[in-house]
Amino acid sequence: MIDSTGSRDAPAAAAIADLERRFGDPWDPGNPTGHAAVLAADEAGEMLAAGERLLDDYGLNAEFVPPELGGRLTRLDHLIEVLRVVFRHDPCLGLGYGASSLIPAVNVWTAGDERQRRRMADVLLAGGRAVSGYHELAHGNDFARAEFSALPGDDGRLRLNGRKEVIANARRAEAMVLFARTSPAPGSRSHSQLFVEKADLPPGAPIHLPRFHSAGMRGVQLGGLEFRDCPVPADAVLGAPGLGVETALRSFQITRTALPAMTAGILETGLEVTARFAEERVLYGRSLAEMPYIRSILADAFTDLLICDCLATVTARSVHLLPGETSLYASAAKYFVATLLMDAMDALSRVLGAQFYLRDGGYGIFQKHLRDLAPAGFGHTARVACLSTVLPQLPRLARKGWLDDTQPPAEAFRLGADLPPLPFERLSVGSGGRDSLSASLTAALGSPELDGELRHLVSVIAAEQADLRRECAALTPVDLSVAARPEALRLAARYAAVLAAVACVNVWLHNRDRHDAFLGEPHWAVAALGRIAERVGRDPGQRSPHITERLSAEVLVRHRDRRGFGLSNRPLQ
Amino acid sequence: MNTPEPAPSDTELRSWLRARVAHYAQLDAAAIDTTATLTTYGLDSVYALILCGDIEDHLGLALEPTVAWDHPTIDALAGHLEETLAQTSPSGESR
Repeated sequence: MIDSTGSRDAPAAAAIADLERRFGDPWDPGNPTGHAAVLAADEAGEMLAAGERLLDDYGLNAEFVPPELGGRLTRLDHLIEVLRVVFRHDPCLGLGYGASSLIPAVNVWTAGDERQRRRMADVLLAGGRAVSGYHELAHGNDFARAEFSALPGDDGRLRLNGRKEVIANARRAEAMVLFARTSPAPGSRSHSQLFVEKADLPPGAPIHLPRFHSAGMRGVQLGGLEFRDCPVPADAVLGAPGLGVETALRSFQITRTALPAMTAGILETGLEVTARFAEERVLYGRSLAEMPYIRSILADAFTDLLICDCLATVTARSVHLLPGETSLYASAAKYFVATLLMDAMDALSRVLGAQFYLRDGGYGIFQKHLRDLAPAGFGHTARVACLSTVLPQLPRLARKGWLDDTQPPAEAFRLGADLPPLPFERLSVGSGGRDSLSASLTAALGSPELDGELRHLVSVIAAEQADLRRECAALTPVDLSVAARPEALRLAARYAAVLAAVACVNVWLHNRDRHDAFLGEPHWAVAALGRIAERVGRDPGQRSPHITERLSAEVLVRHRDRRGFGLSNRPLQ
Repeated sequence: MNTPEPAPSDTELRSWLRARVAHYAQLDAAAIDTTATLTTYGLDSVYALILCGDIEDHLGLALEPTVAWDHPTIDALAGHLEETLAQTSPSGESR
């Protein structure tokens, strides 16, 4: 569907505009869901009650439920756009009301039977909360070492024993997905997820651990659950017993893609606050916004946001279109997007100077968003664990996959274009040695539409891709494991950077009919590829000053016009 | 890759698998017991996925990536692969 603005996803745009209207003007000090109220809730360490009511009324949970179960989860790119609005206003709502229910829900959609899917949908559609219990402090991302167990008792029911720690909404959840050892045998078939409803537990279970207090996301109620010989029905297991590790690795592809992409809303607010500050603040007789140094920081942070959007959007669309390959893309995107977001916010904080350090005043929302961003680096799979998922796949790609020039469908790059349903059942723990997104770089290089500067940068990235292939082919077995040398992990990071560049150049090439003048110009793509080349240690060549000028001017214009800074370039409230 | 001297009972496939496991475990092929689980040699879920890729390329088969999770010893894996090969090739020959 293409509306008059060239957008192909008008229904999603309407839903997003509706949500924006409900949140209202964040700068209005009297707005119960504005920055002042969000900051006050954070200071108090509480969730923003008015925000929770707003999301109840909007029916946000329906975004997490597939349509055949009565919800609106048809497309990952739409889910990301909606949740990104929430993160822009209050990351605590984004995590505590959004992501924390999404993660367990996706496990159930991926592996649950009819009854479990129905029950999870009912809980969410009634406005309830779900939590996932994967994490045990002692084992971090090494969840196959999880000690929490669900072993059969004499009566045929399972007995839960152990603790799950640092879980958002632990006390408030009606449903939980718990990752547990269901067999003492070594190997990867000894764990299962259990779908447990609180109403089915005996009185007094679970035991709630004291709240964990955190540096960011202070409103999110982090707790812990302890079970002691707690009986649950044997049919609580999601799918067949022993599929736990596989189900986690499959369903996390959706959430590793979606979470950092939603979190990009934090950088959008960071850009908005910084642009506002730069325009208001006068130093040495001129506004900060007129200073070339400040303008270059704004331009770079904006470019990084666009890179994140390109990679996240292409990855999200690939989940629909190339589910067999997303084990590779989702982890690469999680690593790279989280890294760029944190680096960009850090750079913006230097523009704000002392104002980024103050918890009140007109710009106090910045420090909250900065603190709230930190979990993007370690939450729901740490960045290094994402690299460890990518790394072992690289030697086979170097040997085989990267020599195959099978192209991805063009729809992977066309913003808003129609997508097939989310193929939960076709997500796979390995990419089977295929990587068609990477193959599209060579194809892009052959496009007659690339002008000189952009063509040069694509060739710089192609040289990086060729080096990567050579170096990945030479990896030794020890470098594929947790004992990998830092240089080996760096290969996975470089792969993610190349993938981001592939996404950027293809988004530019495939969306020139969108009637978005800015998107159609090559400036942003030139800046994006230049930033990525620098990040992997390659010389992008001298960037023309007019590129930085064009991008910083765009930041300031969008700020004045109240438009978002992302690829979608949507009007804000 | 050096193929170790096959034991009399080894099929070609079994000794190839043994060599791959030895490669990833960084041990001598002779030290690898084909009845022991891969985890005995420190080969975790990740190595099992890598091994599956190697097998697919070696045999020209498409397998479930989790094949070595479900058949966690060399003997079990070889048995499963021979069966799969017999089903896919009309003559029933294994390689």
